[in-house]
Amino acid sequence: MKKTVDVSIPLGPMHPCWKEPVRLKCETSGERVLRTEVELGYMKKGIERIMRGRPWQEVMFLAERVCGICSVVHNMVFIEAMEGISGIEVPPRAAYLRVVVNELDRIASHILANFSYCYTIEHETLAMYLLNVRETVLDNLERITGSRINTAYMIPGGVRFDISDEDKAALLADLAKVEADMKRYVSMFETGPLIALRSKGIGVMTRERAIEAHTVGPTARASGVPECDRRLRHPTYRQLGFEPISRTEGDNFARNMVRYQEVFQSIDLIRQCVDRLPEGGSIRGGGVCSAGEIVYQGEAPRGELTYSITSDEYGRIVDITIRTPSIMNIEACAHHMITDATSIADVTSTFISSDPCIACNER
Amino acid sequence: MKYLYEKDLRQMKYNILTSTRHDLAVKELARRLDVSDQKLRMILIRDFDMSLLENLQARYEMGLLHADRGDPIAGALGCEFFTRFIPLVEPGTMQAIYNDVRAAIAAGTPEVPAIDDGKAKIREAIKR
Repeated sequence: MKKTVDVSIPLGPMHPCWKEPVRLKCETSGERVLRTEVELGYMKKGIERIMRGRPWQEVMFLAERVCGICSVVHNMVFIEAMEGISGIEVPPRAAYLRVVVNELDRIASHILANFSYCYTIEHETLAMYLLNVRETVLDNLERITGSRINTAYMIPGGVRFDISDEDKAALLADLAKVEADMKRYVSMFETGPLIALRSKGIGVMTRERAIEAHTVGPTARASGVPECDRRLRHPTYRQLGFEPISRTEGDNFARNMVRYQEVFQSIDLIRQCVDRLPEGGSIRGGGVCSAGEIVYQGEAPRGELTYSITSDEYGRIVDITIRTPSIMNIEACAHHMITDATSIADVTSTFISSDPCIACNER
Repeated sequence: MKYLYEKDLRQMKYNILTSTRHDLAVKELARRLDVSDQKLRMILIRDFDMSLLENLQARYEMGLLHADRGDPIAGALGCEFFTRFIPLVEPGTMQAIYNDVRAAIAAGTPEVPAIDDGKAKIREAIKR
């Protein structure tokens, strides 16, 4: 039967709930959304084009500028890809330090995503609490790497700074505080009646649809696809006995809860790394990268991040393609969570629940 | 549906489709459908929104892994591949084409020409 469109509602490109510009065009029949289209292109950076022909020493700084929220993982995946091309071994201490910084970045990203969701459903108190906790996490990133956002911490063959005993003690003390605070806030989220009304059973995506759209990260794991977590295949995470978190509801509530649970998991991973931090060198000033080709994948806070790189004998980037997790998740959100399933009132919160990053998408 | 402040997205959509890995996926798809690369790009630009185009290469990979397992005729036609993974054909239309091919084979038509006939109908459905 042909569906009749009553009104077409454009949301964005500038919207109070969204951090970045994107336009959703929703065709509606009464309250029901029949079809959604995504319009990008408001902030295209062309960063892959800029990277081509440049040496890895310049590209590593460009890579972490793909995303301002999860910059550490872009640095990590690019450097590990170059190490894979050049056959460079990483000392165990550096590998553990990389995990510490990457997990701090994941906590910061997840808290920001859940802040955005709470803000969108107008639970501003919880939103501000979460943003406050995130500051402590960013302070620790700054303590270890010297920067809050663009850290450029990893370098072929190691990391740029070691961690001192004082920094370790301060990090563990702050993590205990973050954990205690987050327990309170997660309990508020889990039991809040307003949150339940706006989240449970809203924007449902089944496991089958998650696989079909190649959804990744917490968005996929909330629909019961735990095997999508690339950390399962990372040698350092495997030493730490890593097991992904997943749920089966596939709704807005589940996506937020997976991120909350991953915050606690990241805290545990950091503690394990600090406790088991091997002795030995970790500092490197750089390495010699060689010619080759690689497709390397890592787990960003939003999901699988893929770098396809071809380099020449001087370590210059001949060709590079970056596939960020938001590319998959935004599409899945628009065509499976929003389309033909929800009311127009829930479009913004459902979109935010998939943690969209337009900077990543328009790399 | 015409919007009051509609942008022309064709150039940006074309840029997405001609980036390295997307271009390879488009060429593979065009070969499978037996249409020219340019024609397929035009159809994709017309029918898909920007998020689907950005996602095209990943969907293509997932389609190769998961679509049409176990049924050789559905596999040859791309029944799931071209409805769920690369949604170029309406599911109802694809089901009708599949039923026609099955009926033709049951009536004694050899498999290869029956499937070729089905593919021609898929091309028609895509070019609509």
